[in-house]
Amino acid sequence: MIELYLEALDRELVGVGIPVRLRRRILAEAEDHLRADDGALERFGRPAEIANEFAAELGARASRRAAVGAFAALGLAGAVYAVSFVGAAFAGHPPPDTWPLLAQLALVTVVIAPQVSFVAGSLALLRVLRTRGLVLPSAELTVINRRTGVALLFGIVTMAALGVLALELRNDSAGWWVALTLVGVAIAIPLLVLAALPAAVAARLRPRVAGDPGDMFDDLGFGRTDPWRFAGLVAIGLGLVVFLVAAVQGDPFDGAVNGTAEALACLAGFAALGRYLSLRR
Amino acid sequence: MKGHVDLLLLATLRRGPLHGYGIVEALRSASAGAFDLAEGTVYPALYRLEAAGLLSSSWTKAKGRRRRVYELTNRGRGELARERDEWQAFAHAVEAVVT
Repeated sequence: MIELYLEALDRELVGVGIPVRLRRRILAEAEDHLRADDGALERFGRPAEIANEFAAELGARASRRAAVGAFAALGLAGAVYAVSFVGAAFAGHPPPDTWPLLAQLALVTVVIAPQVSFVAGSLALLRVLRTRGLVLPSAELTVINRRTGVALLFGIVTMAALGVLALELRNDSAGWWVALTLVGVAIAIPLLVLAALPAAVAARLRPRVAGDPGDMFDDLGFGRTDPWRFAGLVAIGLGLVVFLVAAVQGDPFDGAVNGTAEALACLAGFAALGRYLSLRR
Repeated sequence: MKGHVDLLLLATLRRGPLHGYGIVEALRSASAGAFDLAEGTVYPALYRLEAAGLLSSSWTKAKGRRRRVYELTNRGRGELARERDEWQAFAHAVEAVVT
């Protein structure tokens, strides 16, 4: 009977995504407990219930740690990005419309991808700071894990695109900028990959705990409105900022084009990822 | 009971190291059978407390089987004192109202 119980418990632990090493420890402790007296098997609890308790208790902690670790790694990647971005102004690049196609694609990527990464990472961290319970609803864990995963993925894409940009412009830019950017990228990408490992472990844990995932208004903590209306206002605000910065620098036409592109990209991002990241229901 | 599991487990381990079964037995005995929970549900809480640095654990051998023994860390002792103070203040307040 004990062997059958342990087999069932093992199956349930696999089902909720408990890693193999931890599973071995749980089974060894369960076996010791069950063999302690004749009635222990009846009092231990159903395998599905025990496995779910493990996933629920470990899942909340794993998702929180993964989100915080990802945000820290993304902070370093953000510093690399900022240094490279500021340095680019002094690196003597030729005008972007003369760049090779790959460099132009990389430029578009290093403009859009970090914004997705920043928004997803910040919202993951906000959700972690907002939730206090030892156990979180499964839907809420999914939200945190997805936001963390998207933030890391787009962070890695940003760093890779920055590396491609530096390589593509290496003959037309200051050597120090190319070297600085490549060294920064070479440090940031492994760190982001390292941060993705706990995120992957957290995403594998699948407890069954009822509860609502909420949306971005729960995270931001201010008045609920139509999410599309809110996204539209944010997009217009971002577009205006881009336009005003360019206008101050004496290039309002370029600013209008880039501002419109920024606003459309923001809305496209909201349409593509809004539901997946629980920005809207 | 769910909301007080941490305090109960930390308090049970204050007298010395115990394995999972021993903790459940001590809990049942100290509460005169009032805390009769699904025994397996103690382990997830023990793992969480260990991950939080409040408990440490190590393998031993007993009756030819591997046995995981848990004990309070210094942080765990501090947390126990804090949670016990909170509980006593709450219990006194409830007692003052209902008696």
